[in-house]
Amino acid sequence: MERAGRDERAWVRGAQRGSASDLEALFRAHWPRAHRAAYLVVHDAALAEDIAQEAFLAAVRNLDRFDRRRPFGPWLHRIVVNRAIDAARARAIRGETGLNESVRAADAPAPDAGVLSALAGLPPDQRAVVVLRHLLEYTPGEIADLLELPRGTVNSRLRRGLDAIREQL
Amino acid sequence: MKSSLQRIPVPGEREAQERAWLIVAAAHADQEPVPRRSRRPRVALAAALATASVVAVVTPSGRAVIDRVREVIGIEHAQPALFSLPTQGQLLVRSDSGVWVVRKDGSKRLLGGYREASWSPFGRFVVAVAARGNELAALELNGDVRWTLARPGIRSPTWTGSAVDTRIAYTDNSGLRVVAGDGTGDRRLVPGARGPLAWRPGPTRHLAYVLGGDVFVEDVQTGRVVWRTRFPSALPATAIEWSSDGKRVLVLAPHALRVYDARGRVVAQDDPSEGWPDVDAAFRPGTHDVAVARVHGSQSTVFWLATGRALFSGTGVFEGLAWSPDGRWLFVTWPTADQWVFVSAGGLRRIRAVANVSTQFRSRTFPRVDGWCCAR
Repeated sequence: MERAGRDERAWVRGAQRGSASDLEALFRAHWPRAHRAAYLVVHDAALAEDIAQEAFLAAVRNLDRFDRRRPFGPWLHRIVVNRAIDAARARAIRGETGLNESVRAADAPAPDAGVLSALAGLPPDQRAVVVLRHLLEYTPGEIADLLELPRGTVNSRLRRGLDAIREQL
Repeated sequence: MKSSLQRIPVPGEREAQERAWLIVAAAHADQEPVPRRSRRPRVALAAALATASVVAVVTPSGRAVIDRVREVIGIEHAQPALFSLPTQGQLLVRSDSGVWVVRKDGSKRLLGGYREASWSPFGRFVVAVAARGNELAALELNGDVRWTLARPGIRSPTWTGSAVDTRIAYTDNSGLRVVAGDGTGDRRLVPGARGPLAWRPGPTRHLAYVLGGDVFVEDVQTGRVVWRTRFPSALPATAIEWSSDGKRVLVLAPHALRVYDARGRVVAQDDPSEGWPDVDAAFRPGTHDVAVARVHGSQSTVFWLATGRALFSGTGVFEGLAWSPDGRWLFVTWPTADQWVFVSAGGLRRIRAVANVSTQFRSRTFPRVDGWCCAR
C-alpha cells in the first residue's frame, strides 16, 4: 500500500512536469475503477465514459495545482461521483432509458445482473453511496467528506440502499 | 457486495479506456509543464543567461548554437501575430475561451463559449456545441443565436445541404442524430453511433460514419445503407472526410488510414507502425490527393499519401491539417512550437508561420481549427 502511494506520488510529480508515461501510469491505475463507479451510478456505458473522461480532463487541467502529498484517488472519485449523481438525476427527470439497458434486455442475463438491477432501482444518491462504500471502499466518514454531506445522512442512505438491494435479491 | 460490483460487466470497457486515454493524453500534451523547484532559481537563470551571452559574443559558433536552438522548435521568422490569411476564406477556431471566426484580414471574432463547431454549407452560419456539451446552437457570424437544441453529450456536429434545404448531423449519448438546418425535425438515425461524421458533398444526403468497426455510408433521406465495409482499426476513428467531388472518402484512426471509392473499395491506405501515429489527413480541394500528418518520435511530417513525398516537417507534434478552399495552401497546426504554419502547395514552395497562437486566442491549451471555409 505504501509502495503504491509512493508510485502514485511519483506519477503525479512526473505528470506535472510533462511526462506522458507517468500520466499514462496514473490514468491506467485509476481509469477502471473511476469508469466502473460512474457506470454503476448512471447505468449507461456511454454516459459513464463521458463522465470518467471529463473527470480525468478536469484532473489534467488542474494538475499544476494538485498537492501531491495527498492521494489522487479521492480527488478523482469526488469529481466522478458528483458528476454521475448529477447526470443520473438529470436522466431521471427526462425519463430517459439508456441504450445499454435495452440492448442488455435482449441478451442473456449477465452474472450479477441481479445486483445491477437492484442498484438501478435505487435513487442516484443512494447508488452513489453504495458504490463509494462497497466498490471504492471509502469509510462513511470519508464518503461524507467526498460528497459534503453529514455523516448521519451517509449512514442512512447506505442502510436504506442496502436494505432495498437485499429485498430485490 | 464488493465482488459483485467488481464483476458486473461494463459494456465496451476496454475500448472506452483507449478512447479516453487518447483524449486525456492530448490534453496533457497541450499543458504547460510545472517547472522544477530550484533552491536558487534566479541565480541559476542569471548564470545561464550570462553563460549563453558570453558564448554567443566570444565564439563565432556561439551565435550558431543559439540560432540552432531557436530553429529546433518552430519557424524562426514566424509573424508574432496573425495579420492575415494567405488566401480567401475564413477559419473556424476552437480555444479554451470558445469558438472564433478568423477573416481573411486577420480580424477575429469570438462567437461565444462553445467547444466544437462546424461551418454551414455556404459559410453563412456556424453550428456549435455549448461548453457543457448539452446544447447545439446555430449561430450567425456575429455570434447571434438563431436556435438551440438541448440534448445530452453532443459531439461532432456537421452541416450539409443546398441554399433551401440543409441538414445537421451530430451525435449525443443516444447515438447519431439528424436535425434540419432550422432546428426542426430532430430524430435519432443510428443508435449507439459516435465519433466523426461527414456528409458527402453534392445534392445527395449521404452521411459517412463508423460504428462497431465498420464504415457506413447511409442515405439519410431513405435510411438505405449505400455501402458498408470493415475499418481495420482497434482504436476509434478520429476523422472522416470526403473529397470535394464526393467520389472518395477517407477514414482515419491513429494506425490506419483508408481511402474508399464510391463503392466502398479501398483505393489507398496507410498503416503506420505503433508509436508513429497519423494524426490528421485531408483531401486537397478539387483533387483526390491526400495530405497526411504523422508524428514519428520527436519529429512530425506532412506528406502526400500517394507518393510519400514530404511537404513539411518539424520537431515536436503536429496536430491538425486544413486546406484553403482554393486548395493552394495547407494549414498545419504545431502545438509544440505554439505556431500555425501555412504551406503553399503550388510549384514554388512558400511557408508562412504565425507564432504565439495560444495567447492570441486567450487559451491555455493549443487552439484547434474546425474548418477553413468558403471564399467570400
